[in-house]
Amino acid sequence: MAKEKDILLKHNYDGIHEYDNPLPGWWLILFILTVVWGILYLMYYQVIGAGMTPVQEYQAEMKEAGKTVKAASLVFSKEELSPNTDAKLLAAGKKVFTEKCSACHGSMGEGGIGPNLTDDYWIHGGTMENILTTISNGVPEKGMLSWKTLLKKEEILDVAYYIYSLHGTNPPNMKKPQGELFQRN
Amino acid sequence: MEDKIINAEAESGLVTFYYDNRIVWNFALATIIWGAVGMLVGLIIAIQLFYPALNLGIPYTTFSRLRPLHTNAVIFAFVGNCIFMGVYYSLQRLCRARMFSDLLSKLHFWGWQIIIVSAAITFPLGITTGKEYAELEWPIDIAIAIVWIIFGINFFGTIAKRREKHLYVAIWFYIASWITVTVLHVFNSIELPVSFLKSYPVYAGVQDALVQWWYGHNAVAFFLTTPFLGLMYYFLPKAAERPVYSYKLSIIHFWSLIFLYIWAGPHHLLYSTLPDWAQTLGMIFSIMLIAPSWGGMINGLLTLRGAWDKVRESPILKFMVVAVTAYGMATLEGPALSIKSVNALSHFTNWTVAHVHIGALGWNGFLTFGILYWLVPRLFRTELYSKKLANAHFWIGFIGIVIYAVPMYWAGIAEGLMWKQFTPDGILQYPNFLETVTQIIPMYIIRAVGGTLFLTGVIIMLYNLFKTVKKGSLVSNEQAQAPAIMESHIETTRPHRWLESKPLWFGLVALLAILVGGLVEIIPMYVIKTNVPTISSVKPYTPLELEGRDVYIAEGCYTCHSQLVRPFRSETARYGEYSKSGEYVYDHPFQWGSKRIGPDLHREGGKYPNSWHYNHLVNPPAISPGTIMPPFPWLAKDKIDIDFTSSKIKAMISLGVPYSTMLLNKTKQEYLYQANSIVADLTDAGIKADPESKIIALIGYLQRLGTDIKGKTTAQK
Repeated sequence: MAKEKDILLKHNYDGIHEYDNPLPGWWLILFILTVVWGILYLMYYQVIGAGMTPVQEYQAEMKEAGKTVKAASLVFSKEELSPNTDAKLLAAGKKVFTEKCSACHGSMGEGGIGPNLTDDYWIHGGTMENILTTISNGVPEKGMLSWKTLLKKEEILDVAYYIYSLHGTNPPNMKKPQGELFQRN
Repeated sequence: MEDKIINAEAESGLVTFYYDNRIVWNFALATIIWGAVGMLVGLIIAIQLFYPALNLGIPYTTFSRLRPLHTNAVIFAFVGNCIFMGVYYSLQRLCRARMFSDLLSKLHFWGWQIIIVSAAITFPLGITTGKEYAELEWPIDIAIAIVWIIFGINFFGTIAKRREKHLYVAIWFYIASWITVTVLHVFNSIELPVSFLKSYPVYAGVQDALVQWWYGHNAVAFFLTTPFLGLMYYFLPKAAERPVYSYKLSIIHFWSLIFLYIWAGPHHLLYSTLPDWAQTLGMIFSIMLIAPSWGGMINGLLTLRGAWDKVRESPILKFMVVAVTAYGMATLEGPALSIKSVNALSHFTNWTVAHVHIGALGWNGFLTFGILYWLVPRLFRTELYSKKLANAHFWIGFIGIVIYAVPMYWAGIAEGLMWKQFTPDGILQYPNFLETVTQIIPMYIIRAVGGTLFLTGVIIMLYNLFKTVKKGSLVSNEQAQAPAIMESHIETTRPHRWLESKPLWFGLVALLAILVGGLVEIIPMYVIKTNVPTISSVKPYTPLELEGRDVYIAEGCYTCHSQLVRPFRSETARYGEYSKSGEYVYDHPFQWGSKRIGPDLHREGGKYPNSWHYNHLVNPPAISPGTIMPPFPWLAKDKIDIDFTSSKIKAMISLGVPYSTMLLNKTKQEYLYQANSIVADLTDAGIKADPESKIIALIGYLQRLGTDIKGKTTAQK
């Protein structure tokens, strides 16, 4: 529409001509606004220092998380600490075991990278409480992860019941015993 | 005959000369061939992300080695040759002169192709510097510098002998591109050779990261963007046969673009250990770039005012319209991704992959195709073989881009959210990183379909152009005439007009414009010590770990794994303490990575037993069922040249790493001592391993990663 009003400059580059159109107004406003915003942002964060740095943001985030999340919720009741053979719980525990534990402890608990969980020997003790502690806190120096931040409490319990139930199952390819002989009462 | 011409010239005041079209065709051919190769490699690695076995079980075709080949081939071979094709064609015509020297043109062409071939050989062999988009080793870096200078002499020589007084906007963009790429390449490639094909960069850790992303970001700016804007300013008005919308807009957006672009590099390092002030600069300059970038887009699109009927008819203009629109989209999205809170979600995810492919497939790809369809028939003085096929290419390619990008956006956002998701109990919803990988595999599959379509379009173009070439014959030397003396009507009211007639001044002003941002950001990182707080417990790598690190670099582990835990609760819960810049001071080069196809590894040390790593490297699915990590069984067989390790230590000493010189006499001893302790540990787990094998070195390195500050998270001073 506005074509007639466009003024053609005398430029001619290999047949290419140029109009003498002004800068589009909205474009100029956009440019000015982004520059103004940039200056304000710089002032706010780096000059006045009113904005939070990434590390301050992190500290605030952790503080906020500490408020909403019950810290150290991993306290087990006496009832929970006694072995449970409920088929449903064991099935749930087996699922967790297959997903998280089998890579190191073998698909049937026979051991591999980590120790055998079916024999009479335990490195960190073989009571329910011992097993729960090992799963929750891990053994960082040996590469066993601490699972308390990676699994829900019920999942930790289920997998512990399952591991407890593996005793004496004699799976094939058992890893040689490690740790101390442990007698169950 | 000749007498006649001379007589005619004398009468009209015109001189006759010839444009070199053969060199343009050579670059065009290289563009087409390398384009197809680069995209094919891209497709192969895209498929490997859901079908790792496609590497055929050999090192040379494994994802982590081919990914740099894909990126380098597309950027420097496909887009690079297209730039040269377009510059050699348009520069001659805009200057009304033949290229400065035919010999330099030939040296430039063949030199560049040899560099590409050497890249295609060295990357699969694992010869790499491990710095993204600057992976080529030092001898090739030098070759690039030489060929680039040859191009520069030829380019400025042509400008010097031009018969047109003023430089057209396309040439402004070419000048800025040449100058900036020279500066970037030289400063990012300063490295200390330790052997013919191995070097270490002089920069380390966070400083290396800043220089590298100053380079990487501006490679996007001054290799993928500004030369292509130059091409747009020539080929779009040519193809549309319309005047450029606004000369004023050209001036303003050109200078603001090249001045602002340089500053934005740190937006690749948001929430990293880069000092806050540098991150802030990276972010605000990215936002300020929106308008200058869009200036190019609107000047392109508004040039087509009154020519939209032609767009409907012409596949060439269709390609160009989509290209310019994709440019506008990518340059709005880029600043959006530079906003810290967006980046916190998008960084390390496939969102970035989607973003760069809007640029690469849409802007670079489609503009290249449009230019080729316009140019090749002209070089061969004939008509395009089939407009129908060109239209088919357009639609297949367009649908290909959509099917590529949509699943990658989806995957990127899904990944980002999954990584951050906590349960109400305050534990990670997806504590196992693998879950977040397997969930997006369907997206990888759809993406490969999109890529296949895009490549199919290119093959159709190949056929169409082949048939076109067959129809005509190459006009190697195209006759042209111009007045012997340059016209000089200077519009005195326009100072920029004066600058346009002084290439030397123009180049100097452009150089100043691009230097400011880089200098302001980089110099303080070296001069002001507080920018990289040291940590006393951080020690140099042992000989074994240093060799393991080189294995990590050579295999390209950084293409899938980052080494940067950002200060987010979701990351410290998953990986451990967030990263500090003092931890990286001996990292020549830094290995932060830019993509998490697999989990971050900065706190990997001590997380798993040696036997876990051994089994996982040799056969990942045995340890992590469903993983898409390829097996690296050759690491167990290939050996480290331990006799050479002391030379590497020596190089590190000259780079300022505080090794005791005593170590040089017992490097091998120390190496084997540590290697044997790992081997002994593996033997306990029933694994037989060779202490000199690469896998032992790599395990040594992985077990060291991020452990120096363990237990003393506040040891920073």
